[in-house]
Amino acid sequence: MADVKLSELHKYYGNVHAVRGVDLTIADGEFAVLVGPSGCGKSTLLRTIAGLEDLDGGTITIGGAVVNDLRPRERNIAMVFQNYALYPYLTVNENIAFGLRARKTPEIEIRKRVSEAAEMLGIGNFLQRYPRQLSGGQRQRVAIGRAIVRKADLFLFDEPLSNLDAQLRDEMRTEIKRLHHEITTTMIYVTHDQVEAMTLADRIVLLRDGKIEQQGAPLELFEQPRTGFVAGFLGSPSINLIPATLKANGAGAAVVFQSGDALTLPKARAESLINADGQQVLVGIRPQHFSRAGGPLRDGVVPYSAVADLIQPTGTRTFTTIKIGGFDAVAELQAHDVSSHGERIDLAIDLNRVVLIDPASGLVIA
Amino acid sequence: MRRHFFGMMMTVSASLNGAEQRRPSRFGRMLEDRLPYLIVAPAILILLLVGLFPLIYSLIVSFQRITMTENDTSFVGILNYAELFRDTRLWATLGHTAIITAIALPLELLIGFLMAQLFIDRMPGRQIFVALLVLPTVISPIVAGATWRLMFDVRFGPIGQVLSFIAGEPVRILWTVNPAYVYPAIIICEVWQWSPFMFLLLLAALSNVDQSQLEAAEIDGASYFRVLRAIVLPAIAPVIAVACLIRGLDLVRIFDIIWALTEGGPGSMTETISLYTYVQGFSQFETSYTAAISFVVIVLLTLITTLVLKRMELVR
Repeated sequence: MADVKLSELHKYYGNVHAVRGVDLTIADGEFAVLVGPSGCGKSTLLRTIAGLEDLDGGTITIGGAVVNDLRPRERNIAMVFQNYALYPYLTVNENIAFGLRARKTPEIEIRKRVSEAAEMLGIGNFLQRYPRQLSGGQRQRVAIGRAIVRKADLFLFDEPLSNLDAQLRDEMRTEIKRLHHEITTTMIYVTHDQVEAMTLADRIVLLRDGKIEQQGAPLELFEQPRTGFVAGFLGSPSINLIPATLKANGAGAAVVFQSGDALTLPKARAESLINADGQQVLVGIRPQHFSRAGGPLRDGVVPYSAVADLIQPTGTRTFTTIKIGGFDAVAELQAHDVSSHGERIDLAIDLNRVVLIDPASGLVIA
Repeated sequence: MRRHFFGMMMTVSASLNGAEQRRPSRFGRMLEDRLPYLIVAPAILILLLVGLFPLIYSLIVSFQRITMTENDTSFVGILNYAELFRDTRLWATLGHTAIITAIALPLELLIGFLMAQLFIDRMPGRQIFVALLVLPTVISPIVAGATWRLMFDVRFGPIGQVLSFIAGEPVRILWTVNPAYVYPAIIICEVWQWSPFMFLLLLAALSNVDQSQLEAAEIDGASYFRVLRAIVLPAIAPVIAVACLIRGLDLVRIFDIIWALTEGGPGSMTETISLYTYVQGFSQFETSYTAAISFVVIVLLTLITTLVLKRMELVR
C-alpha cells in the first residue's frame, strides 16, 4: 500500500518530448486511470513509474520514498502488460509463482498465495496448463494473478484489455473493478478507451501531448470539462461541437448559428456571459441531452425541430444524425423515437449542461 | 483461382484476335495440367544427376575392387566394409573427429552466446562491430588455416612473440608439430573462425525474445540466471538446435583448417575422418575402399541429423 507522487516529470525519446512536466499525486488505495489518445505519453508515463524507462527530469515518490534510481524490481510494484507477457515455457502455476520464487518466498507460502489468487480469479482448473493453451481472457487473468500474489505496493496496468474482444473486455473490466474493491491496493491503469476510464477510475487523468489536460473524478471531467479536448474525448457518442456566435445582454443569452437558427441559453448560465457578447464559440451539446419533445419544457430546455438523417439503432437507444445550425450533430434518442430517414422530429435540447468553448484557446468559457 | 500460365496465354491471344473466348482444346487442357511438372522437370533431373547418381554409383563402387593403379573392377561383396572394422586407423580418425567436435562445438556456442549478449543492447558503432566480428566466417577455411599456421609459426609468428613478451623470456612452442599443442591450435583456429557464426544466429534469436516478458521478469525481481533459464533459453532453443546441427555437421566433416595447419600430423594424430578419406582416395588410390568409408560417414551424418531433427520436433 502506498501513495504515488510525481513531480515535474520529463521524458525524452531522442528529440521527442514524450512527457512534459507531469505533476500528479495519487492517494493510497486510489484507482487512477491515465487516459488519452495514442501518442499522448500515457504508456511512457506508466513505464517511467515502473522504472522500465529512465526519466530525464523530476522525481517519482512511491510510499514516501524517492524511487528515481531504483531498479523496477526494487520498487515493489506489479504490472500487467497489454500482451499479458506470460512466460510461455512455464505453466500457469509457475507463472504466478515466478515472482515469489524469485524473491525466495517459502514454498508453503507460495502455494497458499497461488491458490488464493487462482480462486479469486477463477483459474484454479488451469494451473497445470501452459499459456498457449489458454484463451485471451484466461491469459489476462493469469497475468493479473501473477501481479496480485506479489502483494506489491502499487499495481500498474498497461492497456490490459485492449487485446480482448468486446464482451470479454466488459467482463474483465468488472473483475478488475471488483479486484480493486477486494485488495484496495493503489492502482494506476492506462487505457485509450474512455469507457474503461470512466467506469474504472476513482480519478481520471486525461493526458494530451505529454501533459495533463485535466484530472478529477470521472463525472467531474464529464460534466465540467476545462477544455474542448476533454469535452470531446469523454462521452460516447462524443459531444457535438457546433460553431456559433454568442449574444448576451441583461435580458439573457443565446447562441446564434451561421444558419441563423438560435438557441436560448438557460438564465442561470446567462449572467456570467454578459461580457462575452459577440464572441465566437463552439457550442458543445452532448447527444444524451437531446430528447423527443413532449409535455411542458423544463427550465433550460429548448425546443428544436430537425430532420433525421442517419439513424443508428443500438437496441436501447437510437443515435440519430440531425442538422443543427447547418452542422451535423448526433442525438441519442429512445429506441423508437425516430423510425425513418427524412422524418421531421420535434426535439427538446437540455442546455443546462451546455459547454461553450473558445475556439481559439480551446478553453471552456462556460 | 487456379489458372496456369499456358491457359492464360491462350485466353489472351484469343481475345487479342477479337474472337470469342473459347475453352482451351483438349491438348491445351492437358498441357495446362502438366505444365507445372514440365517446368520443374529439368531442375529435378539435374539434381538427380549430380546428387543421386554419384551416391548410387559410389555405393556400387564400394562393393567393387577398384584401385586407381589396376584395371580390376570385379565385385567383392562386403569385403571393403568388413575391412573397415579391422582398420584401427579409421577408428582413430573417428575418435579425433569426435574430440574436435566435442570441444569446439560447445566453445563456439558459449563464445557466440556471450558475444551476442554483449551486443544485444544498442550501442554506438554496433553495426560496424558486428560486421567486423563476422569477418572470420566469410574467409575460406583453407585461408584461415594457412593464416593461423603463419601466426603460430615458431620463428616469425606473432603469437610466439606476444607470448614471449608476456612471459619475459623467449617462448618457443611448435604449435603445429608438438603433440601437446596441435589440438589446441586446431581448436583455436576453428573456434576463431566459427564462433561469429553462432554469434550472428544467436544475436538474431536474442533480439526476438519478447521484450515485455523480460520486463515482467525484471519487475518480478528474477535474477539473470532465472530469466535465462525460464525465458531466454527456451525461447532461443530452436535456433541453438539448428546452429548446433549446422556447425556439428561441419565439424564432423572438418578438413581445410587441419589440412592447412597440420596435414593430419604429427603422424596421424590429428587426422580426421575427412582427411583419412582424402588420403585413402587420392594418395593411396584405394577407390573402392574410400567409397565404403564415405558411405559409412553418410550413414553416420544422416543418423545424427535425423536424431536431432526428431528431438526438435519433440521440443516443439
